[in-house]
Amino acid sequence: MIKYTVYSLQKRITASLLVIVFAALSLCVRLFWVQVITGKGLTLRAAEQWARDLPVIPERGLITDANGEILAGNRSVYSVYVRPKAVTDLTAVTQLLSDTLELSVDSLTERLSNKSVSEVTVKRRVEKEVADRIIAANCNGVYLSRDNLRVYPYADLLSQVLGFVNVDNRGQSGLESYYDLFLRGTEGKVLTQTDLQGVAISGAEQMYLPAISGMTLTLTIDAKIQMIAERAMEQAMRTHSPIGARCIVMDPNTGAILAMVNKPSLDLNDLPRDDISLLNQYSRNALVVDIYEPGSTFKILTACANIEEYQNGNRNALAPTHIFPDSRTRTVEGSTVKCWSMHLNGNHSHQTLSDALNNSCNPCFVDIALSLGKSTFYQYLSKFGFGKQTGIDFIGEQGGILLAEPMVKNGDLARIGFGQTVAVTPLQLIAATCAAVNGGNYYQPYLVSEISSAEGDTVSRFYPTLKNRAISEKTSQTIRAMLEGVVRDGSGKHAYIEGYRVGGKTGTAQKYENGIIAQGKYISSFVGFFPANAPQYAALIIIDEPEGAHYGSTVAAPYCREIFEQIIALKRMKGDA
Amino acid sequence: MEKKNSLKWKILQPFFAKNTDYLPAILAFILSVFGLVMIWSASKYTAGKEVGDAFYFVRKQAFGLLFGAIVYLLTAKLNVQAFIRTGYLIWGISVILLLLVFVPGIGVETLGAKRWIRLGVQFQPSEIAKFAFVIAASVYLHKRESRVFQFRVLLPVLIMGLATCALVLAEPNMSVTVCIAAVMIVMLFLGGMQVKHLLLLALPMLVGCAVLIAVEPYRFKRLMAFIDPFASPKAEGYQLIQSLYALGSGGWFGVGIGNSRQKYEFLPFSESDFIFSVIGEELGFVGAVAVIALYILLICRGFRIARTAKNRFGCYLAGGITAVIAIQTLINIAVVTGSIPPTGIPLPFVSYGGSSLVVFLGGIGILQRVSSDRN
Repeated sequence: MIKYTVYSLQKRITASLLVIVFAALSLCVRLFWVQVITGKGLTLRAAEQWARDLPVIPERGLITDANGEILAGNRSVYSVYVRPKAVTDLTAVTQLLSDTLELSVDSLTERLSNKSVSEVTVKRRVEKEVADRIIAANCNGVYLSRDNLRVYPYADLLSQVLGFVNVDNRGQSGLESYYDLFLRGTEGKVLTQTDLQGVAISGAEQMYLPAISGMTLTLTIDAKIQMIAERAMEQAMRTHSPIGARCIVMDPNTGAILAMVNKPSLDLNDLPRDDISLLNQYSRNALVVDIYEPGSTFKILTACANIEEYQNGNRNALAPTHIFPDSRTRTVEGSTVKCWSMHLNGNHSHQTLSDALNNSCNPCFVDIALSLGKSTFYQYLSKFGFGKQTGIDFIGEQGGILLAEPMVKNGDLARIGFGQTVAVTPLQLIAATCAAVNGGNYYQPYLVSEISSAEGDTVSRFYPTLKNRAISEKTSQTIRAMLEGVVRDGSGKHAYIEGYRVGGKTGTAQKYENGIIAQGKYISSFVGFFPANAPQYAALIIIDEPEGAHYGSTVAAPYCREIFEQIIALKRMKGDA
Repeated sequence: MEKKNSLKWKILQPFFAKNTDYLPAILAFILSVFGLVMIWSASKYTAGKEVGDAFYFVRKQAFGLLFGAIVYLLTAKLNVQAFIRTGYLIWGISVILLLLVFVPGIGVETLGAKRWIRLGVQFQPSEIAKFAFVIAASVYLHKRESRVFQFRVLLPVLIMGLATCALVLAEPNMSVTVCIAAVMIVMLFLGGMQVKHLLLLALPMLVGCAVLIAVEPYRFKRLMAFIDPFASPKAEGYQLIQSLYALGSGGWFGVGIGNSRQKYEFLPFSESDFIFSVIGEELGFVGAVAVIALYILLICRGFRIARTAKNRFGCYLAGGITAVIAIQTLINIAVVTGSIPPTGIPLPFVSYGGSSLVVFLGGIGILQRVSSDRN
């Protein structure tokens, strides 16, 4: 049986039309959603792909000395980029780049054929003349952007302090690293409207976001004094063939570092970047990051502690008139301390504190340390900043090694009294010495006095920071006189300058290697200051492992005189005597 | 004199018949010319860069339009009744053309699919197959014993439709397959198939889709891409994201003709399957809706011609042709707006593509002729 179904074709046509119109209206709603509701968001996302940006490298901030002399600056160089997809004539491009940049055609062809990368950095630090030739060739797909090459006009001057940058102009060591955030500046951008492949669309606008130059660092360093110190240390290197000659010149009244020399040193413009160990060795600012046993220069501080305590009425302190026993040795807790001198022929006899300093007689300082006692003596070590970092604005500063007070036995205390069994950084020692002679104020050493914008507006100014008072003005006055005596009459006479008042103290310390005394290896040092009545300059000279003579008095003291003499000449200072 | 006048009248008759509806043809040509403008805008950069001739696509499309206009004039003059005699033959030829795709030397393989044949000119047989199926189905539905709408009676339409689908799918060309399947459903619906039977038909089709997806995992990824294109911005989602960027940056009123940013190689197929995105970008929501309105107007008139056709054959023919235009338009816009899984199908009259344009204008000619014949 056949089943009949009656239907209206008209109605079915109308029904089809209605379904189609409904679908079309739904699509209009969808369009409204896409275009009007979410349109702005989609446009923003799309805009990201429409433009390619080339970085505009900011000018790295300058580093100048206290007088505005540029110690680290920049030179314009160019980076050459290729966008492989935008290259229309690969042969021409490789030929051009191989001719101008001295690169092999084969490796260029290989690198530039890789279309999966959007940008290939072909070469950086291309000189302007070469860049001009590339620009003139006007090859599709080749781009240049200006870059900065860090230049150090004084080559190896202050090199360990300044530090250096990597190829991206990021600070790697020294102040370049410590102040990198200020120096680096902010990158700008050139936005170019391009097609998918990165080919610029002709006639489209370019957007330029300028780079912001890095800030200028003004150092406390005086380039002229630095040069004086550098020359003196170079001379020391030649004369005594040590493994290192180092020196700090500091303003005792502020803590400002005026010169900081580590020899040997490297030309910052031509670093052995491939030889990491050599680079590390020569770029260490050993004055801040390395420690040594100070030896006799430390006696200044022991003397200060005694004088201050005596003035404060401490009965354990020895009077200035106290005559130390003549014996060459002291035996403390079974171990014997000897003086460097044999105490023969009346040497080192009937010594007062002044004499003890002049002669740098070890047993006397053993007596002082033991007499003051651990607790009192350690108070002064703390006031003079030992056992902790000075807080200088430099990376990797060490705090030295000072035995923890409860651990210290009398045998240790006796040795600390004359600068053994204690390790300090040279910076700690000179900062302490400055506090001893400047009236008793311990200033935090610092290297940067001002940060200013590239336009010259001051962003931040650093003032001397008084950390604490170490001793009284009167004690300071006493020690100044005593140390002037050391230079005039005692072991420091090689630092004596006729007509000027110089104070100072020698130091000779044996070097330790792997915890035992290394035979024949010494560190000769001298810490000096002048004018002795009102110090304006203080200097610490360290000659590390001199060959031949090794006493601080003969090896180090002459360079202190050399430096002071030239500062006198430079600053046209008048003598007192 | 009298005789000559009457001959002239006879020749011009289909064009100036009193009740002829010219609007579909007018709309079709407006859209085609508009298409030329948009193809120029969308392709001038890529064509200039890759072919070295900014007018490369426009010129080819203009030739297609010229040829399409001739085909339109011919089909508009052609007696519709001639299709009743030749309908099956036409479908048979279209099947042969679809098979030729697989004949080496004639078939042209691009991107792993054999969709083109070269016989003097290069064209896509699937474009012809859509209309050939509509003609053959109309012939069958017209000829069958009237008022018999039993499922069994409609089976031949189903078989012809599925056969066409199978051949197109073998190319493979998923999008045209879907399009033909949809047209087949419309023809069955107009042919009187009960709605419950249509729904029953939908079941194996859904299973078929599931199988197709299971066989080719890339289809599943494509499906996912439409739901969240931003999950795979560099792969499956790329094209849709670019399309949405184009539409989105169009906003209300668009960036102006010629100012598309997405056509700078970001949006693939911007002159063909994704030309609607460029329209949306340059003319905005308002322009895009206006274009949709033109299509709706065209479709309404097409269905009106079907409703008022002289006989059932004309009705099926006009309805089928209109359905092809409607379905392809809807699928295309649905794809570029991310409303359905992405599939490549041209926008009738507007997208770049000679065979598509010629065939659609031919369809418009037939539609017009049906309207001329109604009284």
